[in-house]
Amino acid sequence: MRVLKINRLFAFILVPLLVSAYDSIGQIRYFRTPTIALKPDTTLAFIAASQDSIANDTLFQIRSKEGYPMAYFRKIRTSVCFDNKCRLLKVNLYWTSTGRYLGFDLPKGEFLSKAEHKPFTPAEYERMSELLADPLSLLATLSYAELAPQVKPPDKGSEVDGVTSATAKNVLEYVVEGAAYTTYKMWHVVYGSTQEDVARLTEKSLSPGFIQTVLESPDLTDKIWALNHIRGFIKLTPALQNALLGFISPTDYNQAERAIQAFGAGDLQANTIQQALFTKFREANYALKKLIINKFKEAPMLDKQVKKAFAEDLTLLNSELISNVLDLFRKHKVADVDTCRMIAQLLTNRNDLIAQKAFTYLNATQSMMR
Amino acid sequence: MERRSALVTLGAMSLGAASPKLETGEILKEPYKLTKQTLKADILVIGGGTAGVVAAIQAGRAGRKTILVENGSQLGGTTTTGGVAFPGIFFAWGKQIISGIGWEMVQEAVALNDDTLPNFSIPHGKNHPKHQVRLNGQLYAMLLEEKCVQAGVQIRFYETPTQITFQKNNWVVETVGKGTMTQITCNQLIDCTGNAYATSIAGFDVLRESVTQPGTLMFKLGGYDFSSLDVKLIQARYQEAIQKGELVKTDFRNNIIGLLRSAGDNIQHVMGADSTTSETHTVANIKGRASLLQTLRFLRTLPGCEKTKLIDMQNETAVRETYRIDGHYKITQADYVTGKLFDDSVSYSYYPIDVHDENGVVPDHLAEGIVPTVPLRALIPKNSRNFLVAGRCVSSDRLANSALRVQASCMGMGQAAGAAAVLANMQNKTPLDVSMSDLRKLLEEHGGIVPGTSSKG
Repeated sequence: MRVLKINRLFAFILVPLLVSAYDSIGQIRYFRTPTIALKPDTTLAFIAASQDSIANDTLFQIRSKEGYPMAYFRKIRTSVCFDNKCRLLKVNLYWTSTGRYLGFDLPKGEFLSKAEHKPFTPAEYERMSELLADPLSLLATLSYAELAPQVKPPDKGSEVDGVTSATAKNVLEYVVEGAAYTTYKMWHVVYGSTQEDVARLTEKSLSPGFIQTVLESPDLTDKIWALNHIRGFIKLTPALQNALLGFISPTDYNQAERAIQAFGAGDLQANTIQQALFTKFREANYALKKLIINKFKEAPMLDKQVKKAFAEDLTLLNSELISNVLDLFRKHKVADVDTCRMIAQLLTNRNDLIAQKAFTYLNATQSMMR
Repeated sequence: MERRSALVTLGAMSLGAASPKLETGEILKEPYKLTKQTLKADILVIGGGTAGVVAAIQAGRAGRKTILVENGSQLGGTTTTGGVAFPGIFFAWGKQIISGIGWEMVQEAVALNDDTLPNFSIPHGKNHPKHQVRLNGQLYAMLLEEKCVQAGVQIRFYETPTQITFQKNNWVVETVGKGTMTQITCNQLIDCTGNAYATSIAGFDVLRESVTQPGTLMFKLGGYDFSSLDVKLIQARYQEAIQKGELVKTDFRNNIIGLLRSAGDNIQHVMGADSTTSETHTVANIKGRASLLQTLRFLRTLPGCEKTKLIDMQNETAVRETYRIDGHYKITQADYVTGKLFDDSVSYSYYPIDVHDENGVVPDHLAEGIVPTVPLRALIPKNSRNFLVAGRCVSSDRLANSALRVQASCMGMGQAAGAAAVLANMQNKTPLDVSMSDLRKLLEEHGGIVPGTSSKG
C-alpha cells in the first residue's frame, strides 16, 4: 500500500465529525460513539490494495498526535444497480482502527433516497447506521439478486435505489425498507476488502501504547482484536503484562483465553510473571486451568515457587489436571526429591487412574536422574 | 500302473491339492474360529458418538473400569463420521454453560488446528451459527481416541449389542463384531447410541414420531464462483427440473441457491433418515448419495456451474431424530423455552427449537437470558436399574428434542450420565438414587457446569 500524501487539514474537519453525530454545516452524517479515546491529529492517504467496484481507491487514515491510527475513511462513489438501471451512490464511510464500522457522512447537498427519490427520514438514517454496525447481518450471505421477491412488481421508474423492486420479506429486518440495494451495497463496502486494508495498515502501526489504549475500549471486539495483536507483533511492557493478567478471569472465556495466549516464552522468563500466572491458575475454572498449565510448558524453565505450588496442589486436582501437571513436570524434567515425594502421595489415591499416572511418572524419573 | 502304486500317487496328488504351495514367508493358518470372549467392566458405554465419548472419559477419569463399544471405525459420531463438525453451542448470553470434558476436547482441537473461537461475549442475535465452533473433524476424532486411551477406556470398534439382560444387579451384554462375539458384564450401562437402541434391546419402552426429521449427508462443492452466478436463471432452471421430476424438491429444501451459496455443508435433507439398524442406515446412505449425485449432474448443466466439483463427502448420512426413551421425566417444549430448573438438573442445553422438515428449518430462538436444563430423570428409562442414556435419545417431547439433540448439549448430558454411573457403581446404587450433592461435586471436580447452585461460566 502506498502513502499518497499527508493532509493536516483533514484533521480539523474530522475532529467534529468524530465527536458529533449530526449535521451542523448542511451535511448529513451519522456516527457511532467512538470507543477509543484519542483525538485526531493528522490524516494520511493510502492507495487501497484491494480491488473492488468503488471508483475512488484512496483509503484515509486518521492518526492521533501520538501517531496511533484511530480511524479510517473512504469516499465511496459506486453504482447501485438493479435490472440494468443504476444510480450513483456518493457516501463517505468510516471505520475504527480495529476495522469496525464507525459511521458515514454524505457530501454537502447529497442525501440518501428510497423508491421514487423519496429522501431518507432522520429515523431511516439512524436505522441505516444501526444496520451497518451489525457484522452478523444476513446481508453477509445473501446475493444481490435475492433482495427482491421472486415476482417482480411493475416497473415504475427509471432509477433504482431499492427502488424499482419491492424488498423480499425475509430481508426486511436487515435493510432500510425501500432502500434494500443501497443498504446491501453500503454494508458490503463496510465489511468488504477495505476492512482487510484497514487491518493491514493498523498492524503496521502497532505499539505497546496503542494496544494498551485499544484494550481500554469498552467494545468487546476491540479488546479481542488488541489481545490478538500482541504476541508476534509487539513486546510486552510491564503495564501490558498487568493488563493481560487482569483479563484472565472466569467471567469472560474469550478474553481470558486470548490473554493467556498473548504471553510468549520470553515473557515467561520472568519469575514474577510465572508466579502471577499461577495465582490466576488457582482462581481459574477448569477450562482456563488447563490453558494455564499448558502455557507453563512454553516457559524456558519452571520457577521454583511455581513448581512447588503445583506439586502442593496435586492432591486437590482431578485426574486430567494431575495428568496435565505431570506432563508439565516431565517437560521441565522435574525429578527432585521434594516434588517426587508429593507425587508419591498420589500412589495411594483411591482413583486407580491417578495412582497409575503417578507411578508411571515416578518410574520415569529414575531415567531422568540417570 | 499297479493298483497299489496308483492309489499312492492319487493320495499324494490330493494331499498336494489340500496343502497350497507356500512361498517364502507365508504360513498356513487354521480356519478362523469365532470364540466367545468374556469381559467385565464397572461401566459399559454403548455408542462412541458425541455423548458416549464424554460419558466414557468421565467414567474412566473417575477411576472406573470402562468399556466403550462403537459400531463404526472411529469416535465422534455426528461430529466426525457425520461431518457436522460444529458442535455448538457452549455459551449462552455471554456465559459458558457447557464446559468440562466436551469443551476441553473442542478447545484442544481448535488450538491444534490454529482455528479461532467466535467471540462468545457478543450475542449472536438470530444468527446462532455465529457461535458455532468449527472443528477439523478428523483431527477431533483422533483427539477423542487419545483422550479415551489416556483415561483408561477400553475401546471396541466395529461391535454392536445383540442382547442385553439384567442379571444379579449387573447387565450382561452380548455383542458381535468383525470376527468377535463378546459377553460384557457391567454394573452400569449407558446407552449413547443416539437411537435408544440399547434401551430397546434391554426391554424398555422407546418413543418415536410418525414423521421424523430428515438427515443430512454432508459434502463440499467447488469449481464455481457464487458471486458471478445468475441466481434468477438458476432458480428458474431448478424449479423446472423439479416440475419435470428430474429433481426432488425436498432434497435441498427447495433452495438451490442456498446449496450453491454454502457450497454444500449442512444443506441436504434425506427424508426419513434413520441410523438405528444396518438396514435403515443403508437406506439413508443410498438416498443421500443418490440425491447428491443427481443434483451434481444437474448443477453442471447450469451456466457458471459447468465445472462444479465434489470436493469432499462424508462416509454416511448423519441423522437428526429416531427414537427417544420413555424416561422418568419427559422434558417438554414449555420446560425448554422457559429454562425450567429442576431439583435434579445435571446439565445445561442451549439451542433454538430447531425442527427440520420438508420445507427446511426456521429456528425458534430462546428468549434473552433463557438457558434450559436437563434433569437426571430424563436420562433414565422408566422401570430400569443401573441404566442411563445420554444424547439425543433423552426423554423429551419432539420440540424440546429438536434443541436438546445438538452436540454440545449431548456432551453435557454425556458427562452427567458418566458421573451418575460412576457414583452408582461406587455406592452400589441405581443412578436414580444417587444424591445430587455427590453428583454435583463429582461433575464440578471434572470441570462440568451444573445448573442450580453452581454458577455458569
